[in-house]
Amino acid sequence: MTYAGPGSLSTVVDETTKTFDVIVVGAGPAGSAAALEVARAGHSVALVERGPFPGAKNVYGGVVYGRILDELVPRWWEHMPVQRWVTRRSTMVMTPTQALTVDFRTQDWGKPPYNGATAHRADLDSWLAEQAVEAGAVLVPSTVVTSLLRDRTGAVVGVRTDRPDGDLTAGVVIACDGVNSFLAKEAGMYKTGHEAEHLTLGVKQTLALPRQTIEDRFAISGRDGVDIEMLGCTGGIPGGGFLYTNLDSVSIGVVLALTGVSKAKTRPEDLIAELKRHPAIAPLIKGGEQIEYSAHLIPEGGYHAMPELIGDGMLVAGDAAAMCLAAGIWLEGVNFAIGAGMYAGRAAAAAVKSGDVSKTGLAGYRTMLERSFVLTDHRKLRDFPGLVLSDRMQQRYPGLVCDLVQGMFQVDNPLPKPGLRKLLRRATRDNGVRLRDLLRDGWTGMRGLR
Amino acid sequence: MLIVAALRWSDQRAAVDPLTGEVRTDARTSGASAADRAALEHALRIAEAFDGRCLAMTVGPVEAEEMLREALSVGAHEVVRVEGPAATVTEDGSETARLLLDGLPDRPDVIVCGDHSADRGTGATPAFLAQRLGACQALGLIELEAVDGGLRAVRRLDGGRRERLVFGAPAVCSVEPAGTTLRRAPLPATIAARTARIPVAHAGSLRYLRAGTAKAFRPRPRALPAPVGSEPHQRMLALTGALIERTPPALLRPATVEEAARELLDYLRRHGYTP
Repeated sequence: MTYAGPGSLSTVVDETTKTFDVIVVGAGPAGSAAALEVARAGHSVALVERGPFPGAKNVYGGVVYGRILDELVPRWWEHMPVQRWVTRRSTMVMTPTQALTVDFRTQDWGKPPYNGATAHRADLDSWLAEQAVEAGAVLVPSTVVTSLLRDRTGAVVGVRTDRPDGDLTAGVVIACDGVNSFLAKEAGMYKTGHEAEHLTLGVKQTLALPRQTIEDRFAISGRDGVDIEMLGCTGGIPGGGFLYTNLDSVSIGVVLALTGVSKAKTRPEDLIAELKRHPAIAPLIKGGEQIEYSAHLIPEGGYHAMPELIGDGMLVAGDAAAMCLAAGIWLEGVNFAIGAGMYAGRAAAAAVKSGDVSKTGLAGYRTMLERSFVLTDHRKLRDFPGLVLSDRMQQRYPGLVCDLVQGMFQVDNPLPKPGLRKLLRRATRDNGVRLRDLLRDGWTGMRGLR
Repeated sequence: MLIVAALRWSDQRAAVDPLTGEVRTDARTSGASAADRAALEHALRIAEAFDGRCLAMTVGPVEAEEMLREALSVGAHEVVRVEGPAATVTEDGSETARLLLDGLPDRPDVIVCGDHSADRGTGATPAFLAQRLGACQALGLIELEAVDGGLRAVRRLDGGRRERLVFGAPAVCSVEPAGTTLRRAPLPATIAARTARIPVAHAGSLRYLRAGTAKAFRPRPRALPAPVGSEPHQRMLALTGALIERTPPALLRPATVEEAARELLDYLRRHGYTP
């Protein structure tokens, strides 16, 4: 069996009747949102999923920000399968023995219209796909798309699957086949050739704990939840960590730059084990029984790593288009996938209606993305991924910040309190940070926040 | 000729809570086991060989229709879902057999089942089906094929042995998944099956077998006198029976059976068991 990959694998077919108006490959958040929009526009759409059900193979490590769903599912918060509504958001900077936490809590996020939620992907993706199916999309599970079908001009006119008689033809193919998209690569939409540098490896353990224990340890009640993002917990490998609460389990994990983890020759599970032993984390997860272990690639390259988004007869959305936002304190993916999928669906429906499914006919997709948060945020924060994954941010700044704060709060009587300037000088010296690098990185960060 | 694939819908990845023992199931991971999928494949092959109809059926809730849609996509001529509960943990298989047969539109010639389900796992349903149908039963089959108007099968026996069977309809066969893989459904059939209407038979409610409450065996408590002795050492000796004179074990090698019987009777008489 062959799988989608180099462009040479594409099959050229003569003009055929279209099986569907649109084919969406991948029933993740982007794919289901795309299929939902196409179906609602009155066009026929197939939603092809390789797993036995939507969400069967998906992994994520954080929070679903559902605001974009306002455009798709009215009062979505009453229907979406949520574990907990995040009302506490913490950012933790760590060294092996220190931890500085910035903890924010608001009860506004625990009531309609809500902000972010933790959810199990198997539940969330199934629910979103169900919306698409109810609108008229045809879900085709357990089916792997192995390559693209093209016409004599090179335009994409369908897909080939791993099933007998497995060719499907359509006016538009929307590739939502996730990170490391074989379809986007086969279509020649990725030009950089340095994909590994833009990928991270997310590794996650889900630990079962009684609901009351979680609420006691994380100081929450009802359906309130906590999301903790961490920096400095990856043994010097560029990346970060996370810990968030589900209803009766917590998920803990690390995200590691692919090239970094390869170079360090460290196993990800060792890093999770180390994180679980950290004095700031161990009491929170004590006694948790592992019920799930998963790993997945994450496209964290941001704006600079995005492929071409539009081809003749083809659109790319979600993780397949590297739309995961990993910009320091902002770690978002599912909302970008839903947004991009929704706009892809709208653009495909409009193109099918107008009868022009060429690159020009589908250009509305890019316009919609640029007018929305999807590309606006990515463009604004385009330098953040590089800054967050830089050596200084990963290996020196956590120690600098922790030493600085420790110096501020440590009482060395009979010595008088040291001044902030002296503490900063000592912390920068001890952690090998040059002041001009600190200022430059601060400027880069501030520029991104404008 | 009607060939029926009787499939059991159960969660293939059920989780058991280690503290409470609660079994957690999920409809999304539920479906036919490997043995049931092999049964469906055998049913399809037999139907093709006899130029008959293949009917796939199950007893289960509406979520079980996903399994029947797959059966349609691989070539089953028709499917039936008999309305019933997802779990039959207190049932011995006879009621499932009754519901299956009551839900059938015609008398079947051959019924093929998996050798046992992934949840209940007794393998009793095929036997009850055969008994109700008055059909012969072949169980534990690793090969099954249609030849010369009848069926030929290979059955697994203990010790790596095999038994070859030749039998005719009506028959109930339960198969192991060994060496048989369900065919891959063509894409057009898969898409067509997604929206196909699944007929539902209401064959009556399940009559549960009432077997009473099963409890683990616990011997009655017996009061024992405290060991005699003023010193802990003496009480320990009394408790364990160490250093107390006793009759050493005797190793007997009777030459004949009669002599062995005489020894045993003497022993019983000496200890008061026989007059």
